[in-house]
Amino acid sequence: MKGNWKRFFLVRGAEVAGLALLAAVPLAVTNPFALGLLTLLAIYGILLIGLDVTVGYLGQVNLGHAAFLGIGAYTAGLTVTTLGGGMPIALVLAPALCFILGGLLALPALRLEGPQFALATLSFSALATTIINEWESLTQGAQGLQVPRPPIFGVALDAPDFYWLCLALLALVWMTMRNLLASRWGRAFEALRDSPIATDAMGVGTYRHKVIAFALGSSLGGLAGGLYAFNFQYLQPQSFTYELMVILLLGVVLGGRKSLWGAFVGAAFIVLLPNLLSNRLLFQIFSAIGLTAAVFAAGRGLAKKTTQPFQALAPVVAMGLLVGGSLLVANTEDWRKAIFALMLFSVVVGLPEGIMGFAAQLLTRLFRIAPPSLPAPASLESVLPAWPATGEPLLELKHLKRHFGGVHAVDGISLTVRAGHVHGLIGPNGSGKSTAVNVISGLYAPSGGEVLLHGKALPEGSLFKVAGHGVARTFQNLQLFGELSAIDNVMVALKDVFRVPLPLILLGLADAEEQRARAAALALLDLVGLRDKARARAKDLTYGAQRFLEIARALARKPELLILDEPAAGLAHPDAAELVKIIRRVHDLGVTIILIEHHMDVVSELCDVVTVLDGGKIIAEGPPDTVKRNPKVIEAYLGAVVEEEKAA
Amino acid sequence: MDFSLIAQMVVSGAFMGLVYALIAYGFQLTYATSKSINFGQGELVMVSAFFSLTLTDWGLPYWLMVPGGLLFGAAMGLVVERAAVRLALEQKSEGWILLSIILGLLFFSTAENIWGRDDRPFPTPIPADAFKFLGVDITPLEVSVAVGVLSIMGLIELFKRKTLLGKAFEAVSADRDAAELMGISATRTVMLSYGLSGLVAAVAGILVSPITTVGPTMASALILKAFSVAVVAGLDSGFGVVLVGIFLGALESLASFYLGSGWREAPGLVLLIMALAIRPTGIFGQAAIRKV
Amino acid sequence: MTTDMLRVDNLHAGYGLAEVLTGVNLEVKAGTVVALIGANGAGKTTTMRAISGLLTPRQGRVVVAEKEVQGLPASRIARLGLAHAPEGRRVFGPLSVEDNLLLGAYSALPHFFGFHGRAAAELERVYALFPRLKERRRQLAGTLSGGEQQMLAIGRALMSRPKAMLLDEPSMGLAPVIVQEVFAIIRRLKAEGITLLLVEQFAKSALEVADYAYVMERGRIAVAGTPAELRQDERVLAAYLG
Repeated sequence: MKGNWKRFFLVRGAEVAGLALLAAVPLAVTNPFALGLLTLLAIYGILLIGLDVTVGYLGQVNLGHAAFLGIGAYTAGLTVTTLGGGMPIALVLAPALCFILGGLLALPALRLEGPQFALATLSFSALATTIINEWESLTQGAQGLQVPRPPIFGVALDAPDFYWLCLALLALVWMTMRNLLASRWGRAFEALRDSPIATDAMGVGTYRHKVIAFALGSSLGGLAGGLYAFNFQYLQPQSFTYELMVILLLGVVLGGRKSLWGAFVGAAFIVLLPNLLSNRLLFQIFSAIGLTAAVFAAGRGLAKKTTQPFQALAPVVAMGLLVGGSLLVANTEDWRKAIFALMLFSVVVGLPEGIMGFAAQLLTRLFRIAPPSLPAPASLESVLPAWPATGEPLLELKHLKRHFGGVHAVDGISLTVRAGHVHGLIGPNGSGKSTAVNVISGLYAPSGGEVLLHGKALPEGSLFKVAGHGVARTFQNLQLFGELSAIDNVMVALKDVFRVPLPLILLGLADAEEQRARAAALALLDLVGLRDKARARAKDLTYGAQRFLEIARALARKPELLILDEPAAGLAHPDAAELVKIIRRVHDLGVTIILIEHHMDVVSELCDVVTVLDGGKIIAEGPPDTVKRNPKVIEAYLGAVVEEEKAA
Repeated sequence: MDFSLIAQMVVSGAFMGLVYALIAYGFQLTYATSKSINFGQGELVMVSAFFSLTLTDWGLPYWLMVPGGLLFGAAMGLVVERAAVRLALEQKSEGWILLSIILGLLFFSTAENIWGRDDRPFPTPIPADAFKFLGVDITPLEVSVAVGVLSIMGLIELFKRKTLLGKAFEAVSADRDAAELMGISATRTVMLSYGLSGLVAAVAGILVSPITTVGPTMASALILKAFSVAVVAGLDSGFGVVLVGIFLGALESLASFYLGSGWREAPGLVLLIMALAIRPTGIFGQAAIRKV
Repeated sequence: MTTDMLRVDNLHAGYGLAEVLTGVNLEVKAGTVVALIGANGAGKTTTMRAISGLLTPRQGRVVVAEKEVQGLPASRIARLGLAHAPEGRRVFGPLSVEDNLLLGAYSALPHFFGFHGRAAAELERVYALFPRLKERRRQLAGTLSGGEQQMLAIGRALMSRPKAMLLDEPSMGLAPVIVQEVFAIIRRLKAEGITLLLVEQFAKSALEVADYAYVMERGRIAVAGTPAELRQDERVLAAYLG
């Protein structure tokens, strides 16, 4: 427990100390310029924390955040000027409207990935600017909108008061977002980024989470916009365009994605940037430091062969241009955009994890901060329900078909999987095994036929819905959440544990539940022999461990039926032997298993019944030993005996 | 409402729409080989136009200036591929979106400082005096835009269909690994696609500059509409972009007349968001099958 | 004297963290057909991909016609004389049959104009082998039947007159009649003196055409020998059905 206290003290202590320091500044410093910068820092802090939700946690390039800042600002401004509301109302309305608009934009846009998503947000922000500009009767258009700063509850806010208000809101946002991101919601956001398919298959609604994450991020943009309006007291449509968007992205990426501190550092950078550019000497020093860092990193990376030549040298070239420019160019202010571009380029290529990503690793090592300790694992019986191995039909396929164009991948399969059995599904390459389980688990909708569980039809064509019916699966090509730790992978999938509603989570009242979830997840990791690897990132595990982790994660769904799609593929001998033991343990718990497998020794050892597919049809079924001697099966595997041989 | 006025606007808008279609066609070229597009393509249009203007200032005649501008555009396309796209594609990340935006910003700032922030006229030997065709005013400049757009697209399509290198280009688009097995370098083909895409951007810049004038921001509105056309038609739609481009050009021309010129951009943006919501693969695009 | 046209020493390769090949050794002498057989998931296709450069080997050597090629991009290895007709046929669906064949000879032809004339002889040779492809020369490859696509994939690989050829699972997903046809073609190529490494799931058919064969199991060669020897060997059946 000592490690826990040290961690708590250092991590929370840094936050409290930082906040106290910032709050104390107006007591000592009366310079209005400095105070203005600090106010802006708090506002941009909120803004970037919001942007980090989509860019960092969802991993999407979001080009619409500047527009939400503008929408928030105008909403707050108009609430005060046109509706005659007070500041509190304005600061509620601005994020609320952005939450709704963000949700509406996310509904279509988040079905897209990559460039299409970026384009949708880009269009949205251009559209928002157009509307603010052209709806002159409401927004005064290009003329600009004067916004007074109304008193709160009769108290007029002077500059330090307003700064404290912004800082208090930043602290509030910081706390609630920290609680949210450490909860099942934060895990779901990250899981989505790493594998949307697995997130669906683990019964976490991909789409719903994405939309809420985006709406939430946008609402923070709106809140920052409200504060922005009362800070500057004058709004112009041109303030919220593409260039600001690029600067905001620079802030997030430079500070470090997926990190509250990163957003804060990024905000500080953005706020200081104009001053940095206007002071030539400062700029020269800064760019020289940048170049030195780039050269040092490049040398190290090349010597250790951890980075490619391009990745190492491109930042050096970019920073070199920056240094050259700082010496040669007459007015650095004119080259503002090029300077942003060069800095952003260096960071994206050379330091993808950002300053805080880098610093966090360094500090963790420096202070030897241990990760928070884990609870004792729960008993397996309390985690997994006992299913009776009755031998009754559990899953029935009736004339199941799935066609792709003219290819009949699954061509009329009927079979029954009995409760408590390990049912093998084998067949040569392309015989339709994987397609069959993809149809059962809902990845594909069937082209014909039925899938019945306990005699009732399973939902069709939705991994998410099928996952809700006690069917869990693993994937032939691993679909782990690579950036998440092993225990988090399991916790994402954990069923029937999380009940605390979102508002309480935001208030940080989900600790007990989280602890219970950790204990349950540890029990499952223990089952597959990964308890001591609980804190390791999934992508850092060995290949065999990754395979086992997928099984533990699927078990977190507390499934009645578990589908294992080639679990032994690519496993070395000792791991394959371990796998057999794990599957047997799972089976002993009463879970019914469908096992697709090429390795016949594994199949023979585990399966009660084996169904053999060829060309999308069933060619044999029975106990493994009988099936192996079936001439049709031998022919499917080894090929027909050709005429010449018969003649010979 | 006067019918001939509407017809006039539809026709003028349609000519502009062809320019959007041409830039969108440039997106298709790179999307085919690498599933990536240059988010800074607008800046490529702009710097190529400025460079061509400089060539004219040096006294080069129009017909020598054009190939010079095109070569410059192609070279810039290669720069984008090397600096922004290749690494991200090797790492299978979407970093190229951000990096190509960044590179666009760098081009923008450099152009601002080299050529100034003001809009400048772009000299052309093609007259701007309108003639009547079926009761609609058409200028030779507009005709040159149509001829230029359709001929460059036609030439590139001919290249893809009639030369072996072009067929190799199609092969990489269809199946990158199989193309490698034929001895076709996929990396070089992606470079080729970015070079062609840059060339196409230069053509668009040279064609549109006499109409819009040349300035650092000349392409910022243009590019949004090219994005719309590419997405609405589908990033693998081939000549579908021409139809959508003409439609969008006409539509925005009408919108700017009836709603005011500030609303010009709105139809394209709304169309893009709607298209993504209803049919993300575009009107003429093909749907993909989800795989695990 | 027969030389090794293709030799693989201690080849290691895999995907991500998965180590699929753990030291594969094999050789194909000039003018011989060598079969690589084994159960699904044993690493046959991975071996082929690691040889032709679609997958970069982690360790070991690949020698094609006396040149070490491991680590080179696939397009370079192809230009050095190794043709690979991949698993799943992988024809260029949106291109015509003839364009597919022309691309097979890509590195030997002029890239802009006049390539048709230069390729005429090779085209005729392939069309003589596969008359059906000649009938369908203008058709898009994606619209061919599975068997025709397999013929096209083989024909495309032959167009470059390769020093050695890899043929991966030519029978996959084809009807039995067509499979026989494919093997008839392979026998014909063998008679013409091709150097071929054949991966095949249908062990019996493969052993009939091969001069020598390797049986793979879990990422390495388990048994090697002449077809006559292997037919007697129980380990071959065991490799498939446990």
